Amino acid sequence: MHKPVDLHIIPRVEDEKSCIKTAQMLKSAGYRAVALTLPTGLLKEHVRSLRNRFADSGIEIFARIDISCANRQELLRLLRRFRNVYDVVAVKCVNHALGLVAARDRRVDIIFFDPLKRNVWFDHSIANVSRAALELNLSTLFSESILLTKPMKEIDIATQHMVRVVLSSGCTSPMMIRTPEQLSAIGMVLGLNVRQARDGVSVIPWSIVEQNVERRSKEYVEEGVRVVKKRVG
Amino acid sequence: MRRYFLIRIYSEDLTAISGEQFIDALLSSVRKYFGEIGVSTIAPKLLRFDPHRSEAIVACQKSREKELQAAVALIREIAGSSTAALTVRISGTIKSLAT
Repeated sequence: MHKPVDLHIIPRVEDEKSCIKTAQMLKSAGYRAVALTLPTGLLKEHVRSLRNRFADSGIEIFARIDISCANRQELLRLLRRFRNVYDVVAVKCVNHALGLVAARDRRVDIIFFDPLKRNVWFDHSIANVSRAALELNLSTLFSESILLTKPMKEIDIATQHMVRVVLSSGCTSPMMIRTPEQLSAIGMVLGLNVRQARDGVSVIPWSIVEQNVERRSKEYVEEGVRVVKKRVG
Repeated sequence: MRRYFLIRIYSEDLTAISGEQFIDALLSSVRKYFGEIGVSTIAPKLLRFDPHRSEAIVACQKSREKELQAAVALIREIAGSSTAALTVRISGTIKSLAT
């Protein structure tokens, strides 16, 4: 398998023991890199120490933001503000209109839905315009009242429209971490083929992260345009 | 034909988990996500359980290994304590799991 990545880890930043345990569990599960969802107001020193803690376990860290808002204006404002700060930008779609805007916007890397919300889901209209990848979080499947039909249907629609599917744990505690093989097995049970399921925990998340790291580099000008050499004097 | 899984169990409150408790949790996970027919077609069976190393060897039907792996991943708690069951290795023989 290509380097496994979990793009959705929500660490308890105030609990140091939990962070250390999470890093150890991620290492033993075989991950090479993770994206941490960090609160927007977190101090830079705190972020640095968190990065060091995970780096000590040999795991590469990327910063992720989960945007959850009710209307288009708010979403666009938050995207303007945070796109250049975070490596991965994800939008939790709380209604259909927001899902359409988020899916279409090229600043959004990932969109995800709450399977327990019955009035909003990844439908054909969103899939048709989607530039972002659809994320399926394992943590949402743990719920007692979940039916697998909704994520199965979403994966079916994503496959029909060739929307990339990312499989993540969405974990808030170390006990919610699973191995990349387990995540891809869940993807296969939900309707992905072997390759799509494997890519969902490795190739696709890597491509998202690499693209954003390149975008945030000083040489990047716009899509397809990079500074190769600067004229001196 | 059977497939054999080596599963390592991590528990939050470090209490020793017995083999019975683990297979109960596994069967209820299979039943919850794949139903009664799933239980009979996947046919999970606990072969060995090491409480000191918190490791189990489970067998299932070869054609249904993905379902069993998903069911293991979806175990959230065993005997009331928050638990993570990670699949360490999958093999066609028990002997190669032990090495």
